[in-house]
Amino acid sequence: MALNPLRRRGGLRWFITKIIILVVLFVLPFTGLVNEYWLSVLTRVNIFLVLAITFDFFSGTTLYLNLGHSFIVGLAAYSLAIFNIFAHIPVALAIPLATITATIISLLLFLPSIRVKGEYFAILSLLYPIILISIATTQPFSAYLGGEAGLMSDQLLLGCALKLSPEHSLFFLTTSYYLLSLAMAVAAFIILYKLAYSDFGFTLRAIGEDEELAEATGVNTTRVKLKGFLIASALASLAGSFYAAIKPPITTDFVSPDSILIPILTAVIVGGLGSIVGTAISSYILFIIYEALWGVFGVWRTVVYMLILIVFVVLKPEGIMYQLYVKARKVLGGGG
Amino acid sequence: MLVKYIMVFGILYSSVYMMFSLGLSLAFGVARIAYLAYGALYTLAAYMTYLFFNHFHLPAYVSMILSVLSVSVVSAVINELIVKPALKFPVSILMSTFAVAYLIEDVIKNRMGLTPITLPSLTGVRVIAGVPVNEHWFLVLATSFVLLFLLYLFLNHTVPGKTLRAVAESWEESMIIGVNPLRVLRITMIIVGFYAASAGVLLSPLKAVTPNMGWSPLFTALAIVILGGMGSIRGTIIAAIIYGFVEQTLAWTMGSGIASIAPLIVIVATLVIRPRGLFGEEV
Repeated sequence: MALNPLRRRGGLRWFITKIIILVVLFVLPFTGLVNEYWLSVLTRVNIFLVLAITFDFFSGTTLYLNLGHSFIVGLAAYSLAIFNIFAHIPVALAIPLATITATIISLLLFLPSIRVKGEYFAILSLLYPIILISIATTQPFSAYLGGEAGLMSDQLLLGCALKLSPEHSLFFLTTSYYLLSLAMAVAAFIILYKLAYSDFGFTLRAIGEDEELAEATGVNTTRVKLKGFLIASALASLAGSFYAAIKPPITTDFVSPDSILIPILTAVIVGGLGSIVGTAISSYILFIIYEALWGVFGVWRTVVYMLILIVFVVLKPEGIMYQLYVKARKVLGGGG
Repeated sequence: MLVKYIMVFGILYSSVYMMFSLGLSLAFGVARIAYLAYGALYTLAAYMTYLFFNHFHLPAYVSMILSVLSVSVVSAVINELIVKPALKFPVSILMSTFAVAYLIEDVIKNRMGLTPITLPSLTGVRVIAGVPVNEHWFLVLATSFVLLFLLYLFLNHTVPGKTLRAVAESWEESMIIGVNPLRVLRITMIIVGFYAASAGVLLSPLKAVTPNMGWSPLFTALAIVILGGMGSIRGTIIAAIIYGFVEQTLAWTMGSGIASIAPLIVIVATLVIRPRGLFGEEV
């Protein structure tokens, strides 16, 4: 494989720092430093992180803004509900099933639109979640899809056979969700990181830079785009079905652009389009800020969030997280 | 019998759709941007009318005109602050107008709540060709035609208008002959705001007014503009007529639920089958 100029290294100190951070994250619930509320916040952060980096992996590199990313999430959530409620499949088994189903369906549905160019793709992709929401809330189908109230599927209850006392089982539940979400986030991050900075990722970015040029050099852009989309939607579906499993009922909230897409866009822009690391870091920071803003701004925090997005898009589209990350690595790593 | 309904409402809706999709068409054609904030401007105009009428107790027509003017100003501000700096990076424009749309709607939602409000409208029903039509529609129709005619005059018989068309054709070439495209952009966005607001002010009394109502007109306008071909005003007009009749046919035969998904299907179908629309340039 040719030398990929996007590969980078830190020093041994940096590597150890990363390991330490990981260990801290995994041990966090047992230290008693965080209460259940923040554990559940962090769980949601992890899920959101997966959604953000999957978005960045495909849309940040190819610049095909998939504004319908929430459609994939909603599809996974509804599939989970359908498997669980109508086919009586236990939730734990339904998660992988829903993931696979949602991936396949979104791939099929996006197949025709991948051929459409840049900005048209964005508009087109925006329609998918809207259509899904309309279907889910209008008459012929809303009976099956729960309409506004949503579908009430079972919650993922692990080891509920262990008859624990109420506070213990709450702790057990929140912790297990947290650890699962963390494992999923770490795994997704590693997979996408490796891919984004591999030759495949390089090709994706080439498409983003100049698609015609990429085609001229012999790249089958449609194939590459589909592959990228497949990877992104697979992981996003996993996150989506997991989220649905721990937080029923499954309503149109899972599909709606404003609760899912806007935070993702903000995280991706602040983190830097195309930078997996930057997106991951900004997901964490922004989401925690979002939660913390509740106390200060109340209902207005979404507005604040969107102002952040607009400011960054207009003034600093390359984001700041990646640069901060590189600086941090230089300071802590000392490698080259 | 049903046919009469479809004919009458087809004409009514077509002319209205023509008016407000032309606004979006100008944005696409001149600015070459997907102005996703269009729907939010529509909503904003409706809510501002409500504010002027109910809180400041201004007469109905004054409220309407004032809100149209204010929203045009808002559109110009959006252009200066957000569109202009983001022009270098087309991706940014999409994201920022999208964010602005949600921003406006969220502000409205926080201030005014989610419950639908009612706007002043002409009450009374007249019967045209055996079809009962709300009197308000006549106001809508009359205003749409006036605005359409004004736009026609502007684009074809004034210098700024023709300059606008020149910029819509090609930024570079118009720069060669000494046109400042950014100035034209500014004027265009004011006009776009004006038309979005007019549509909002005129149409919203006929339906439930909620903060989220802007997306549906936006998608309708998008469907028409895409169907007609991005950047082609002629295409937009023809597409508006086609779309108006098709939508009304669907609405009266299959119910409004199906009809509300119509714009989305049209967009998907057009972009997949013939992305440049009926009269657009090669994509």
